[in-house]
Amino acid sequence: MNVRIRNAETGGTVDMELEGENTVQEIIQGASAFWNKDDGAYVIRKGKRLLRGQQSVAQSGIADSDELELIPDPEGGA
Amino acid sequence: MTGTIRPGFIDEDRYDRSRRIAWLDVERVRRTKCLVVGVGALGNEVVKDLVLSGIQDITIVDMDQVVRSNLNRCVFFREGDAERSLAKVDVVAQRAMELAPDVRINSIEGKVEDIATEELVRFDVIFGCLDNIAARLHLNAQAGHVKVPYIDGGTDGFRGKVQVVLPPATPCLQCAMNQSHQRILERRFSCTGAEVVVHERKIAAEITTSSIIAAIQVREALKVISGRSEACIRHVEYYDGYQVRSECYELELDPDCPNHG
Ligand SMILES: [Zn+2]
Repeated sequence: MNVRIRNAETGGTVDMELEGENTVQEIIQGASAFWNKDDGAYVIRKGKRLLRGQQSVAQSGIADSDELELIPDPEGGA
Repeated sequence: MTGTIRPGFIDEDRYDRSRRIAWLDVERVRRTKCLVVGVGALGNEVVKDLVLSGIQDITIVDMDQVVRSNLNRCVFFREGDAERSLAKVDVVAQRAMELAPDVRINSIEGKVEDIATEELVRFDVIFGCLDNIAARLHLNAQAGHVKVPYIDGGTDGFRGKVQVVLPPATPCLQCAMNQSHQRILERRFSCTGAEVVVHERKIAAEITTSSIIAAIQVREALKVISGRSEACIRHVEYYDGYQVRSECYELELDPDCPNHG
């Protein structure tokens, strides 16, 4: 299946080809490498739901033509 | 009902304008005990908002001293505090008490790991105002263990987030972790063979985002305290001040998360 990943920081998109057994964290890894993201943490959302990193594409309910968003997860506060 | 009033009486009550918010339980707010871990950018703002909201019993924890680079975002710190390398907790305690004379601030100069889990039972709400994932996960686990609501804030430049954890029902910080968080943890603690070296990443920070994220943390706490948990963020609010976006997203409880026994 093919999904579209949106970069929450720039609005840019990239299409990603996935198998049912790919994991959410593989999507995070692939997308953050594509956009040369820095060392920070990231999460992926589908609609109003944040997807669990350990889940597979099939388990997390990702379907063909879905749009997902890669969001930086802020670590600072001091 | 009859009574005696005099002109201007409504302006003598410090909390008159707060009492006009129908759902806000001001008396309960005043009896609440809060723990704020970290009194840097978020912690300064959280303490300020708690004191002005009427919380009278606040414990603050931080191991650091004031430095000049804190002064772009910390309302309680002054140039002289940095010159004298004063402990952040001491400065925050002193200045916060100037805002409301009846507030009691107990300051602990130390790390989050220095607080015994059993000591957390006495708090009604715990605030995470930390600058790293390791400390957040530690506090999240402790709060979950004693089933005290935990409200975590995080920022990076003009971005921020707030997660509300109401143990044991809601997903916790650990539930939301993935390999990208794990990699940060691994980089933070590197082993030289003889010792563990802690690498601290310098993260962008400024006052508008710190102020907004801290305000959301306190806003959510006021709902919890007033018995309005159903109106709280489910479960994470992400804020982007540059793109002017703010959205709440739901998380799933991780069945393997050790914090939901
Ligand atoms: Zn959990």
